[in-house]
This record gives sequence, C-alpha cells and structure tokens, in this order.
Amino acid sequence: MTLTPYAFKLALQSMFRERWINLLSVLTIASGLLIISLALFLVYNVDAATKNLPEKFSLILYLDRGIQKERVDAVIGALRKNSAVSAVRYISKDEAMRELKTVLKNSSYVFEGLDENPLPDALELKLKKESVGQESVKRLADDVLKIKGVKEVDYAEKFLSTLNNLRVGMKTIGLILIISLATGIIFVCYSTVKILFYRRNEEIETFKLLGATKWFIRTPFLIEGAVIGTSGGIISLVGIFAFYYVVLLRLSVSMPIFKIILFPAEMFLVLPFVGLFLGVTGAAIALGRLKY
Amino acid sequence: MIQFNGVTKDYDNLTALRDISFSIEKGEMAFVTGPSGSGKTTLLKLIYFAEKPDKGTISVAGWDAEQLKESSIPYLRRNIGVVFQDFRLLQNKNVFENVAMALRIRGISEKEIKAKVYDTLKAVNLRHKADIYPRRLSGGEQQRVVISRAIVAEPAVVLADEPTGNLDPDTAEGVMKTFKEINAKGTTILIATHNRELYRNSGRKVIRLDMGTLVAEEVG
Repeated sequence: MTLTPYAFKLALQSMFRERWINLLSVLTIASGLLIISLALFLVYNVDAATKNLPEKFSLILYLDRGIQKERVDAVIGALRKNSAVSAVRYISKDEAMRELKTVLKNSSYVFEGLDENPLPDALELKLKKESVGQESVKRLADDVLKIKGVKEVDYAEKFLSTLNNLRVGMKTIGLILIISLATGIIFVCYSTVKILFYRRNEEIETFKLLGATKWFIRTPFLIEGAVIGTSGGIISLVGIFAFYYVVLLRLSVSMPIFKIILFPAEMFLVLPFVGLFLGVTGAAIALGRLKY
Repeated sequence: MIQFNGVTKDYDNLTALRDISFSIEKGEMAFVTGPSGSGKTTLLKLIYFAEKPDKGTISVAGWDAEQLKESSIPYLRRNIGVVFQDFRLLQNKNVFENVAMALRIRGISEKEIKAKVYDTLKAVNLRHKADIYPRRLSGGEQQRVVISRAIVAEPAVVLADEPTGNLDPDTAEGVMKTFKEINAKGTTILIATHNRELYRNSGRKVIRLDMGTLVAEEVG
C-alpha cells in the first residue's frame, strides 16, 4: 500500500465529489453501529444485574436424624475442604424451628399438636461465585450426598436454570445481532467502494495506461472506506452518549428505576476503531473482487 | 526498441492483426499507416500491453511480452508515453494536474513535478493554461496537453494514435514539430496516422497496414 499525501488527496476529492453516496453510507454505518452499541448496552446491564445473584445462592444439606455432634463436625470439615464451598453454617433443628415459627407467625396453628420437633439438623452451604452453575452445582450436590451423615440436598434448581437461560439468551441474541449488523456494515462499505470504483472507471483506466500500480489505484479507495467507517463510528459514539446523557439520565429524574442503569463509557470509545476496521475490511473485499 | 515477430491478434472471430513482423530502432521516428480499421490502434495497444497477442512475440524497451507478469505491466508502461486518439484527459483535473499525473504515479516529489510540468507545458506553449480545465480548451490545445503528459516523464518510447486527426493544418504542423523535437532528443516515436502529409518525403520508416496485414514497410 502506498499511503502518499496524494492518495489522501485523491480520496478526499472523491469523497467531496460523491458526497451524497458517502453521506448515505456513513449514516447507514452509524445506524448499524448504534444498534450494536444499544445491544451491548443492554447485555452489559443484564449481566451486571445478574452478576451478584449467585452470592445469594445456597444449598441446604439435611442431616441424618439424631446425628452425633462429632459426625456433624466431620461433615463440616469435609465440606470446607471442597474448593467450590465458600462458607458452611450449621442450623440445628431447634434453630430451624425458631426460624420457621418466625416466618409462619401468622399461621401458628400449624404447630398445634406437634409434640416434638420434626425438623432435621441442617447445613447451609454458600458457594464461591464462579462455582454457581447448573452443572457444577448438580455435581456438588451428588458429591455431598455421598458424605456419611448427609441425608438430602436441596437447592433452587429452577433459579439456576433461569439465571443460566437469561445470560445465555441475552448473550446469544447480542452475538447474533452484532455479527449480522457487522456483516451488514461490511457489505455497505463493500457496495459503496464498488459503486465509487465503477463511477471512476474511466479515470482508473487512464491511470492504468499511464503506468499506475494496483496499489496507487486501490489506496485512495481503502482510505475512503476507512474514513466512511470511522465517521460512522464517531456518529454512533455521539449517538450512544446522547442516548444515555440526554434520554436515560433525564428519564431517571422522573423514573428512578433508570438510576440503576450502568453506562460503560470506555467500552463505547472503541466504536470509531470498530468503524475503521469494518470500513477497511469492506473496501478491501470490494477491491479484491474487482478485476482490473 | 520495438520488435514484433509474427504477431496475430483476434477479437472473437475477427482478425485485427495477422502475422505482423517489424522492428523500430532506438531513437527512430516511424509511422504506421493504413485506412480506418486496418489495425493501427490495435498495434499500438499491443505495444503498451493494453492487449495481449494471440500469436507471436513482442519486445518493447527490453521487456518481453511472453515473460511479462501482470504486476510488471505498470513499470513497462512508464517507459512509454501514449498520445491517445480520444485524448483520455481527466475532465475533473486542470491542465497542470493532467500532465502531473504521469509523474505522480511514479512517486516523484512535488517540487520536481512542478518544475517538470511547467517546463513541458512551456515547450508546447501551454504554460499560461495550466489552471484551465480540459473542456475549456480547443482540440489543438487538448492534443498538446496529451502530448505534454506523454513526454513529461521522458519515456524511452512515445506512441501517438492519430495525433493530428481533429486538427487544422497549422496546429497539426505545430504538433508534428513537437514530435520531431522530442525525437531529436533521442526518444523513439511511433505515430499511427492515415494522413499521408505527415510522413510524405519525411525520410522516416512507414509501416503500411491493410485489413490487419502488413502490406509494405517503406521509407516515406
């Protein structure tokens, strides 16, 4: 590639001459990148909102009836050695009954006629954040059931699968949207450069006859693709910042729910570079497919 | 400098040139003549590799057509200045820029471009029209701009396709005078024309074509 000042001059002249085609392409790219940014913004916020949910997750291990204190200590010791476990809390059957009575204080009649406490002793396991996954929790539950003294394991299976589905679903939709729009943007740049090339066909033919190399002819088009893509990126960057600072922040005054929204500004600063990359890629594909 | 050996060129079922052989020495000024459709333009196109021969071999300024890679064609063309029949001037660039283009593609510095372009325009008496766009020039002036563009980089060979085709006799004489001056500096020149007045009593080599066949190689 020959990035001479003259290549930039030719690119700028072409951009000015074909300003309407270029403007249309820039706006199309900006719209595409803005939709990608909004999708990322949404995925980021869903991810942030669900990130702390695993800390609230726990497993309840019901122990054998009449289990000895030494056995309970042995079970706790075994559990603490497990790398997925962050904390173990012993809940005696009396403590469990007290908690149950607090919860059901308005329905105390359910306890009438109970001569003895029917609840078993239990252990509450808190897990490390990275260990809270559908498969890993199921594996852990199977493992702890093998420990002598543990009779039953209970955990919110549905919560885990919903959390998992939400995250996977959002990421998949986001990914599909990003890939299809990025492909669309490349196609816009590809088509623009191809149109510009054909419109300057006669000029290019003359360049060739005068002894211009392929790169002398191609470089201004690559520069044009780069400028179109970068401009689209800058406009989408302005758009996403305007969306947050002008729309969402103002809305949050009347609707406080919007205050929980996080704005990853630094993530969006790469938009002009993404535009640059997509613009040059589209232009390069167009030039690679042209026979001249 | 230019050598054709048994060159044939076909366009679909039409033979444009058949079994053409001739040679032009370094520093020579020669003419290709013949009626319209005799193959003059095709012969020039084969020299600057805008077309490839179907048979035979061509050698220009030491470059052999058979062994020439696609990527080397631009470098060969830099040894050849072409005065196109249809001018091929860039309408969106002024006279200076049109002439300078031949130097820009060679990556020459702006300072050198300025000096060479103004010198060349002065030589063809167009220095005062440097900022004018081609559509505002007369046919003769446009022809001289094309000649300037062809010679500004001092190529080894200059090809001219009907350079006086649309010009009045006085302007045509001026253009031919320019070619003779360039030739006097050692540049090989080949002019395609059907105007006999250009080569009559010139003492130059004349290659006569008819229906794509070389019918005579004589001195004009």
